[in-house]
Amino acid sequence: MTASILRIAGLRKSFGDTEIIRGVEFDLAPGERRALIGPNGAGKSTLFHLISGNLAPTAGDIEFDGQPIGGRTPQRINRAGLARSFQITNIFPKLTVFENIRLAVMRKHRLQYSVWRRIAWVPWLREATEQLLERVRLQQRAQTLAGEMSYSEQRSLELAMTLASNPKLILLDEPMAGMSSEETEYTMHLIREVTAGRALLIVEHDMDVVFQLADRISVLVYGQVIATGTPEEIRRHQGVREAYLGEEVAA
Amino acid sequence: MAHMRTSIPLLLGGVAVLVALPLLLSAGLLNASVQMLIAALFASAYSLLSGRAGMLSFGHAAYFGVGAFATVHAMNALNGTGLLPTPLLPLAGAGAGLAFGVVAGWFATQRTGTAFAMITLAIAELLHALAPQLRGWFGGESGISTMRMPAWGLNFGSTTQVYYLTLAWVLAALALLYFHTLTPPGRLTLALRENEHRLRFLGYDVHGLGVSAFAISGLFSGLAGALQVVSNESANYVVFDAGVSASVVLNSYIGGVTAFLGPALGAALMTFFGYAVSDATQAWLLYQGVIFVLVMMFMPDGLVGLLAVIGRLVRTLGIRAAPLMAGWLLAGLLLVAGGVFLVELVQRLCSQDYRAMARVGEAWPAVRLLGREWLPAAAGTWATVLLPLAAGGGLLAMVHGAQRRWLTEGAK
Repeated sequence: MTASILRIAGLRKSFGDTEIIRGVEFDLAPGERRALIGPNGAGKSTLFHLISGNLAPTAGDIEFDGQPIGGRTPQRINRAGLARSFQITNIFPKLTVFENIRLAVMRKHRLQYSVWRRIAWVPWLREATEQLLERVRLQQRAQTLAGEMSYSEQRSLELAMTLASNPKLILLDEPMAGMSSEETEYTMHLIREVTAGRALLIVEHDMDVVFQLADRISVLVYGQVIATGTPEEIRRHQGVREAYLGEEVAA
Repeated sequence: MAHMRTSIPLLLGGVAVLVALPLLLSAGLLNASVQMLIAALFASAYSLLSGRAGMLSFGHAAYFGVGAFATVHAMNALNGTGLLPTPLLPLAGAGAGLAFGVVAGWFATQRTGTAFAMITLAIAELLHALAPQLRGWFGGESGISTMRMPAWGLNFGSTTQVYYLTLAWVLAALALLYFHTLTPPGRLTLALRENEHRLRFLGYDVHGLGVSAFAISGLFSGLAGALQVVSNESANYVVFDAGVSASVVLNSYIGGVTAFLGPALGAALMTFFGYAVSDATQAWLLYQGVIFVLVMMFMPDGLVGLLAVIGRLVRTLGIRAAPLMAGWLLAGLLLVAGGVFLVELVQRLCSQDYRAMARVGEAWPAVRLLGREWLPAAAGTWATVLLPLAAGGGLLAMVHGAQRRWLTEGAK
């Protein structure tokens, strides 16, 4: 078996007396697209925060690309090659869309202390930014203030910002929330396209998306992964049907 | 971009006027202009941190003062011949401001918001308390004096030469500060203000970016302090006073931190008012405070925001904006006249001299104001206060109503 890009062992997180993550075991292969599903309050967002460095684990190990990252700062984890989007849109609302993406692209080129050069004098920065704009279909919105766009456009922007650092692993927290079915369709193809050769971990409530996009699915219930398998296996899994899918099948 | 094209001739015109000033002004006014330029630079340096990077510093006198004292020592070094030729001395202040900015910024930017503001305040207060004790460094309570040495064929003895030296440094510094807004770290300061959390998840070291903004602000604040020493030929620990820190905040926000030149304009205007008015009245600080409160309440984007509002009015209403503007101006003048008269009258009535007079003679003697005697008990005196206030208020309401009607008509 090839080495995992992400390996989580015995991970726990408590807030006071409340234990939200209760011993998660998890393995993700390089290049794999994995969806994380589970009922509300199962701890999906908390798990994302632990992996991306927004929260420090109470116990357990998180290993990314062979190095332990549990409790490291978000910027170190990002520089190691792990980028994420947020469930609640997290952008620079009063800057233009172009500027938002440019800031994201610029990081890996170590320009942040270059006080002697105009940002406009860096031609490849503009090109890379424009390519990303086009990819998420926001080229018409380049000069719009990010905060003035529709919610689904902001989701697309956030996806572009996540892609900008050319990461090895992408975490997407409900990227399709608030999108129309046409936008969802487009974004799903986009995600499939841009994650070729990278690993993806996605939380999404739209089950059509989850079953079409993911190579494998993990089910998180009350802070524990109760099942992992191909979409077909998960669909047939009795425990999953009871814990989670049952509600949707009945509906 | 069209905006850029119209403002370049405006900018060149402004620079031409500044260059021509020594031909037009008396030595006293030229001296005031030097102070205005220095205040403008200080406010611009401050606004890089507080306006653009969104870190509200309440102790910027520290970096101004460190720059000032570094320069006074550089001028007195080598038995008074100076470490550098006179025109280059401000580099000493800039260097000291940068170095101190790195150290103080490293501590202060560990925190954000209120805690950050309190740390900056504490650092400035610390220097203010320490300086009079450290005679060698800060010259005790009397301060340190120095002399400008001739250099490069110039003797720097006249106000005109000092003015040109200051102008050259201030223009170069403003150009560099503007250039900073176009560089990667300059763009990142905006992002720092907007969403520090997101920057972390893009892989940026937010603390490092904060220190860099703080240090650059310290550099240009130190440069402003240096220019003040070159102009005054002395430095005293009062440059660390909380009042210096406060006025750079007030000036910047009165001018408007959202536009690049806003703080510079605000600082220049307020320094000029201070110069023009502080001899005429003892209530100058009150006026400064009232102006700040009014600007914050009614023009949160500062005086520069007012220009933008006027521009919008002219564009939507065309020629009809003219009577509106005249109305606003007249109402404003009436309110200012009434308000100033009231303040001056009350200030005189409350002064110690007046109370002493009132005690000796019979009650309520007359007050001298605007070359006339005013009896505090006479109805005419209070009518002079109330009439312009009432007329101004009435006119204000009328103009406001008319503007609202015309704008809604225009919208239809």
